[in-house]
Amino acid sequence: MAKEEKKKAINRLKSMYPLRGKINEAYLKSAEAMAAGKPTVWGMLNFYFGDPILKAMDVEVVYPENYGAALAATGVARQYLDYADADGFPTHLCGYSRANFGYTSKMMKELGGKIPAEAPLGGMPKPVFLMGSTAVCDARYKWFQALGRYMDVPVWTFEAPAPGVKEMFMEGSYERMVELGVENLKAFVEFVERLLGKKMDWGRLDETVDLMIEVNHVWHEINEMRKERPCPMHSRDFWSAMSPALFLMGELKDTLECFRAMQEEVKDRLENKVGAIDNEKYRLVFAELPPWHSLDFFDKLAERGWNFVVESFGYRPPMPMNLSGISDPLERITRFSLQVFSGYYKDALEQNIPAGSFAYPYLKFAREWRCDGALLHPLISCRSASTHLPYVSDMLLERLKVPSLTIEGDIVDLRLFNPEEALAKAEPFEETMNYYKDMRKQEGFDW
Amino acid sequence: MADKNKGLGKLGEVFHGRSQRVRELKKEGKKIIGYPCAFVPAEIITALGFVPYRIFGDMKESVTEADRALPASFCPVMRSCLDCAFKARDDFVDGIVVAHSCDPQEKTARVWESYIKYPYFHFIDLPGSLRAESLEYFKGQLTDFRKTLESFAGKELSRQTLIAAIQSHNKQRALVREVYELTKPDPPLISGTEILQSVKAVLSLPVEEGNQLLSEVIGEVKVRRNGPEKKPARLLTWTSTLDDYDLMDVLESGANVVMDDSCGGIRPFRVDVEATDDPFDGLARYYLKEVTCARTFKEAVLGETTKDYDKDLEKRFGYLRELVRGWNVNGAIFLLVRYCDPFAFEMPGLRDYFSRLGIPSTYIEYDYTEGSLAPLRTRVEAFLETLG
Repeated sequence: MAKEEKKKAINRLKSMYPLRGKINEAYLKSAEAMAAGKPTVWGMLNFYFGDPILKAMDVEVVYPENYGAALAATGVARQYLDYADADGFPTHLCGYSRANFGYTSKMMKELGGKIPAEAPLGGMPKPVFLMGSTAVCDARYKWFQALGRYMDVPVWTFEAPAPGVKEMFMEGSYERMVELGVENLKAFVEFVERLLGKKMDWGRLDETVDLMIEVNHVWHEINEMRKERPCPMHSRDFWSAMSPALFLMGELKDTLECFRAMQEEVKDRLENKVGAIDNEKYRLVFAELPPWHSLDFFDKLAERGWNFVVESFGYRPPMPMNLSGISDPLERITRFSLQVFSGYYKDALEQNIPAGSFAYPYLKFAREWRCDGALLHPLISCRSASTHLPYVSDMLLERLKVPSLTIEGDIVDLRLFNPEEALAKAEPFEETMNYYKDMRKQEGFDW
Repeated sequence: MADKNKGLGKLGEVFHGRSQRVRELKKEGKKIIGYPCAFVPAEIITALGFVPYRIFGDMKESVTEADRALPASFCPVMRSCLDCAFKARDDFVDGIVVAHSCDPQEKTARVWESYIKYPYFHFIDLPGSLRAESLEYFKGQLTDFRKTLESFAGKELSRQTLIAAIQSHNKQRALVREVYELTKPDPPLISGTEILQSVKAVLSLPVEEGNQLLSEVIGEVKVRRNGPEKKPARLLTWTSTLDDYDLMDVLESGANVVMDDSCGGIRPFRVDVEATDDPFDGLARYYLKEVTCARTFKEAVLGETTKDYDKDLEKRFGYLRELVRGWNVNGAIFLLVRYCDPFAFEMPGLRDYFSRLGIPSTYIEYDYTEGSLAPLRTRVEAFLETLG
């Protein structure tokens, strides 16, 4: 008699799989593009700023940050880190950058530009240019600048303004941010046209931007539905499905249909009170970058009744905004991209929280998604994803009586995350969450 | 015995009691604005009648209070600055201004403003590149800073007052450059530790008082007979901040540090703010383009569609060539504060550049604690031995 398969603790959405599949498709497509002599760009996550431009111009983009996670998960990163060390890059640098330095060093210095045989997902071909961004951290443009040691490839650095919360509401301040973005994009289009010798199809850009906005609007609506009890979609599905929206992967009309299918599936679960886990005892918010290499850790927590209902500010679609009155696609792109980080500023100002992006959003998440606890995952070599976490922990406890559990890890050194040790903390943290649940009741909170 | 009321004698007093003068001024009714980075335009602060006070970290003070707000694996300089703020070490400060010079500055600013309430706090966003639109945006940020500081001052900033302040701060820049001229002879007439003291001292004083002190120090140094002894190595140091006397002392144990490209050295004083019809144009250009910090993205040709590594290095580090040649440097130490990303990413490229210049170099990482001095000394000594 066949052995009964153990029921999985997390009910994964069927509609997630086609979206996740687009990640592999994107890498294969770029390998095909390279083989066909088409240009490929290495890009930083640029929060909808440069990607629509390149999509409209039919330029393949691969993302070394993403690829770093693949290198880590497949165990290939280790040797590349050794190359980076040997080349004199300090070891505290972003693990993804170090893995990429090693990959590039091997590809260019040893293999004359050929992709290393051990590179997963078909590797990343030598790019025609590097698309950096000042968004989120210094590494995301300094890294690409440092690649000049290995490749004589130009670097474009996008500006991503990061004003203070109250400063942004000073007269003219936001308009100047928009002006910066539009002028930056105009210059970028001109740069790409010059480099590739092809002109922008502005009609196609218009359509791409509209699709980008619609895809992310649907994605936003899906995540809003997770406020309900039981939460119909687990964070694992968020992380699996997010890439096509965040990186504009695949054919956008098809991506939109995939997200609409997900929207229907999640609605259906809500109507039938089907949760992402069978017995939702605790609702959690997760910050910031997940342990990509050990996501089954969440299955163990799901067995205990932990449903992760909201997560990862840095990956979320921007809060909806009405851009219908704006005809210039570059301005629509700019305002949409700015919304990612500054969309929470008004709330943050009202709540008197100066940390308007990265930190304040977690206050909103915990309150609106009715979280019992936060799981915070600082990463030793990713300071941009970790610095805000002590403040988040303080803020959640002080303002909402929501406690946090901190479990350390790293983006490439997988030895630093110990799932067994982390799971051992689960039971004591459940007691803490129960305690604060009572305390919230006493203080008049409605969850 | 040195006269403690002027020159080198006074320099020592001011350096060791850095906050004394601003506390006196505060009692007289002056307001003090603290800032932790060379990218904050002190000219605007001076022009509105405040006293700008450069905040430094303290390597000798163990970080304890900042642990609740910032992780341990984070820029130790900013952790130290915040820690000192939590401990009310700078309790004379009426306001804080932070610029988005790097991630740690930006992230610490949010936390700083959240945890400690000052009568005034302003964050200046600073673009990463030198594009025309970036400069325009930054100019807008400076005008926003002017507005909030005017509101705090209760008066408007006049163009003339700002021009005068720029001239005073430019005078200070010229005086610090004059101090560095005194390290050109062999042996240098002034030591790296004395220059460090000078810079830290003047950045704790109103600009005119700092200029007066520098003039006195220069005058005394030129005529004294007991200057530094000649050492075999003439070093250039390159780092984010070199603000500890004992650390400089370690570097000078077997060498003369004749040039320090750091925010405690020549970096904030290397060139002047250009006189422009609208002074905010000159300020924006200076602070975005002329402060040679690793945080700024520079390319050989703006918007270039090809890349030449050598030209790229020349654009980023070419100003160091002039310093190396002009000061007859024969060795370079690149000091890296642990977790400083902008400077860390530069390391291999910078070493490539110095290799092309034919100047031996080494990179030494430290964690900005007193405990790092001993291992640092060992590394420095080992490097100096290689110079012969």
